[in-house]
Amino acid sequence: MASARSSRSVFARPGLVIGLGLLALQFIAIVFAPWIAPFPPTEANPLDSLQPPNAVHWLGTDEIGMDIFSRIVFATRVNLLIGFAAVALSLGVGVPVGLLVGYYRGLPSALVMRFFDFIQSFPVFVLGMALVAVLGQEIWSVVIVLCMLFVPMFARIVRAEVLSLRERPFIAAARCSGAGDFAIMFRHILPNAMTPVIVQVSVSIGMAILLTAGLSFIGAGVRLPSPEWGLMVSSGAQQMILGIWWIALFPGLAIVLSVLSFALLSDEAKRYVDTGRGGRAR
Amino acid sequence: MNAPVADPAAAPTGPSGEGAIVVLDKLSVGFGDRTVLNGIDLALRPREIFGIVGETGAGKSVLARAIIGLLPPGGDVTGGAVRYRGRPLDAFSPAEAGSYRGGKVALIGTNAKALLDPVARVGDQIARVVRAHTPMDARAARTRAIDLMREVGIVEPERRARAYPHELSGGMAQRIVIAMALAGNPEVLLADDATLGLDATVQAQVLESLVERSRDRGLSVLLITHDLGIVRHYCDRVAVIRDGRLVEEGPVGDFMAAPATGYSRDLLDAARARPALQAPLAAGDRPPLVDVRDLTMHFAVPGSVLPIKAVDGISFAIAPGETLALVGESGSGKTTAGQCLMRLIDNTDGRIFFDGRDVTDLKDRAFRPLRRHMQMVFQEPYVALNPRWRVADLLAEPLALVEPMTAAERARRVAELLALVHLDPRLADVRPHALTAGEQKRVGIARALATRPRFIVFDEPTTALDIRVRAQIIDLIRGLQSSMNLSALFITHDLNSVRSLAHRVAVMHLGKIVEQGDTEAIFERAEHPYTRKLLAAELPVDAEPAAAAP
Amino acid sequence: MRTRDIWRRQPRLLRIVLIRLALIVPQMFGVTLVAFLLIRLLPGDPARLILGNFATDESIALYREKLGLDKDVWTQFAIYVGNILKGDFGTSPFTSRPILEDLADRAPATLELILYAVICTVGLGVTIAVVSVVKRGSPFDWGARIYGFAAGALPDFLVALLLVFVFFYLLGWAPAPFGRLDLMLNTPPQVTGFLTIDSLIAGDFEAFRSAAGRLILPVLTITIVNAGAVTKMAHSVFSEIWDSPIVGHMRACGVPEQQIVRAALRNSLPPIISVSSFILGFLLGAAVLVETIFSWGGLGQYAVQAVINSDYAALQGFVLVASAFILVVYSVADILYEVVDPRIRT
Repeated sequence: MASARSSRSVFARPGLVIGLGLLALQFIAIVFAPWIAPFPPTEANPLDSLQPPNAVHWLGTDEIGMDIFSRIVFATRVNLLIGFAAVALSLGVGVPVGLLVGYYRGLPSALVMRFFDFIQSFPVFVLGMALVAVLGQEIWSVVIVLCMLFVPMFARIVRAEVLSLRERPFIAAARCSGAGDFAIMFRHILPNAMTPVIVQVSVSIGMAILLTAGLSFIGAGVRLPSPEWGLMVSSGAQQMILGIWWIALFPGLAIVLSVLSFALLSDEAKRYVDTGRGGRAR
Repeated sequence: MNAPVADPAAAPTGPSGEGAIVVLDKLSVGFGDRTVLNGIDLALRPREIFGIVGETGAGKSVLARAIIGLLPPGGDVTGGAVRYRGRPLDAFSPAEAGSYRGGKVALIGTNAKALLDPVARVGDQIARVVRAHTPMDARAARTRAIDLMREVGIVEPERRARAYPHELSGGMAQRIVIAMALAGNPEVLLADDATLGLDATVQAQVLESLVERSRDRGLSVLLITHDLGIVRHYCDRVAVIRDGRLVEEGPVGDFMAAPATGYSRDLLDAARARPALQAPLAAGDRPPLVDVRDLTMHFAVPGSVLPIKAVDGISFAIAPGETLALVGESGSGKTTAGQCLMRLIDNTDGRIFFDGRDVTDLKDRAFRPLRRHMQMVFQEPYVALNPRWRVADLLAEPLALVEPMTAAERARRVAELLALVHLDPRLADVRPHALTAGEQKRVGIARALATRPRFIVFDEPTTALDIRVRAQIIDLIRGLQSSMNLSALFITHDLNSVRSLAHRVAVMHLGKIVEQGDTEAIFERAEHPYTRKLLAAELPVDAEPAAAAP
Repeated sequence: MRTRDIWRRQPRLLRIVLIRLALIVPQMFGVTLVAFLLIRLLPGDPARLILGNFATDESIALYREKLGLDKDVWTQFAIYVGNILKGDFGTSPFTSRPILEDLADRAPATLELILYAVICTVGLGVTIAVVSVVKRGSPFDWGARIYGFAAGALPDFLVALLLVFVFFYLLGWAPAPFGRLDLMLNTPPQVTGFLTIDSLIAGDFEAFRSAAGRLILPVLTITIVNAGAVTKMAHSVFSEIWDSPIVGHMRACGVPEQQIVRAALRNSLPPIISVSSFILGFLLGAAVLVETIFSWGGLGQYAVQAVINSDYAALQGFVLVASAFILVVYSVADILYEVVDPRIRT
């Protein structure tokens, strides 16, 4: 009975359904790419170049005759890998840093925050371009760039929560009940500080996908012939003016749908939190 | 007697309320399936001050919102009507409704600082309301605003008019809100817990000027409150509301002398002070358990050389089994003193002795073993409990200070604690947000009792609670005092509860203790002028006490 | 004590500005340090990195001397700061021109683009937010919510390409995405560097029409993509105030609805200012993509070229100028924020 009720509430939320559906599609593409894609993702066939969508090449072919559909499917692996890896790494670093910096006031904390200020005062995109140029056009360079962006973000979110939580009476009450610094940080503050982080995680994955695609689009991200959505749009950009729309459009749509799915899920997470199911400290 | 009770015969109204300005005719209001007001019949006559009393959730505020025609989102009038001079509100056109609000009936809300626009000067805000009801140019409106500010007792209104709300004290902000209410020349004022959260002396001044202005202008006032003292001192008639229903209604004198219903009797009993405490078991010659000497706490102010002297050299001692009340208004430093005592903040100067031992400079780790003997009950019940923890875990946390326990022992102790504060054992698995304010307070008390401490700091244990819940908490603490031979520091601004809970009283003002003595002596023969002012501002429900003439 | 009194007696605005100016100096220093380290941290010889693979040994030796590469890092940093203070950002091996000149030539194009874009973005975003809060639950509100959502998922380069495809290729309404002005027209004499303004000053209406026409698609792209985020933010700020006791109280006082909207908007202004400045700073980097697609010839495109050519000196110069710009924008925003919010103590 409980499951019947919960499933009904799931379907009462179109955002959740669409978000989860799109996410499932992406996971299917990641796991089963070789079986779904009719062509190898990097196989160029110059004789078949610039074909509009047809029965053989469902979404057409690009300038050097690679099958766009196959490349989009395989690119899911690259794009989501980068997104997930960057966000996971950033969480692993940013959350503890934010917790410490928020809990312990003093010079080290102030220095860390100044450092974050500097990183964040650079234009995101330019910082990314410069770093990828310096580190080399590898997937991991892109991940590091995204981490530079997300670590300060997560650390700030956690710190802001910690700063307000540490002044709450329930922390003083815990101290009276004998809790030490460690217990206060990890048992009292951290669980209460995670809510906004969880909401931000999903948004960040979407942001990561957009940024990765953007970096690749201007040639500062993943290198050809790796299948990557931004790179594929880039290779179709010049053709667009000539009316050859399919090369750029379909990978572009893949980006939109992927980012949308994470945005929808984040919104649902936020709604879940806001309705007070978790009993927030606010 | 400075609040004359109107002669009921002076303002005759028939059963249907002719002659009345605002009439509630079997008014029912619902939020979805929930009925918040249920068939309320009321008539507000010209020039009367009508008190509405009820506990949290009784529907008092919704009543005020219904009269002004602005129910909160989701609320609907499900039956009956509000009539203004015979016309039902729902027959008003939008333009009429606009001039009705503020022009005929004005609302004075709770917590004035949250009502004022934080980025506009208060004079302009009053002028905005003036112009909404009377077309005039900006300069004339500003002059009018300054007149209104003077009328509600603001000194130097020209200068104050240029202030922003955050630059004003709570009492001053409340006066501004009253000026805004008067700006449209209304016939009726609705004061919805208008002085809630203000200090007693400020509350008395604000209410005094509100009532005086209303009498001068011949207004009718609906004074919504949970404080029977306010009703007793300022109202002509009173109505009691419970769960959205009218329980009883009548002239204040009759009501106070002999309430008609059991519920009203309960309320009145709950509001009265308890008989004085017995002297502590251990008499005076034993060494004090807590001894505070010249306690000083200064806070540095960013950008200023002068620190805030929150606590400025106070000394007091508490004997075993004794309760000392630390009384003062907001900003007097009483809560800071309690936090210093519990080593939650490090005092700037002075010594603190517990059981003969100097604990002033102990580091957190060294002090921790002592915490099992010294506990604290925090002011706001909800925010003092970790929202993600179950009640059982909250109660079990301090047990780690005592000795290692098995899970079963711990569970047994938690059950004992729940029983000790009269809570349902099933609440052990609940998180704080599912508890009522009274239950949260009890959990806070149980947590402090978990280690069987010898000394407890109670920080405002009776604040922001409904009359009956407050009485229950007072009775609970009285029971603990006699059964556990507890020493306590009782921090409060609620004089009524001091009578019921404390053996001795220390009065704090601006960081210093101005007067200290036995409870009875302080209440009967206060010497310091500040203490007398504090006592005079009290609005007891009983007629006898000295608080009569200011 | 005395100095504090003198300070207190100064007008609030002056105090706010002075504090901000004092803060800019150390921040600028930090930015310079990071730009310096960006190159220093690279493996390999900085001189060879900066001058590229085709540099002669002679020129490399000269450059090493100029940078003081034989000295310790802090001396090198001091030399670097000294050079920058003299306006010497180095020379680009690709354009063979001083980098500062390159940057100065291209800056107006980017500034013109992002300034118009920010105005449109914030204007549109705030308007949508206010209307949808005031008419809560209306179809407009729903549309706004869906837009706020979807816009965040749109890559700007895709939107730009689609706009070009539709308005240039299919409909033929828009000019080809090649630069800021029709190639057949003469550039009006430079006054502000903004072609839309310079052409009006010169009285050259044909140039104005062309410049304005070519701004439409790029500005539209940026607006479509970013106004969604502004809408979301402004919506949450504005609705919080709209639902607050402040607005309830104004209503109970009988203040007309339109004045209530104005007061609520005034209350939402501080966060809107911060977000606008954030977007302005963000666009300086993000406009890179749009500039590339529309061959805009601005700073962003210059930076992309620098990356592609491994022109590190140019990249370093761009990072420095961009960060300085963002610093100034944020400082101005902070000043405005404090001016419009009387609660902030100074």
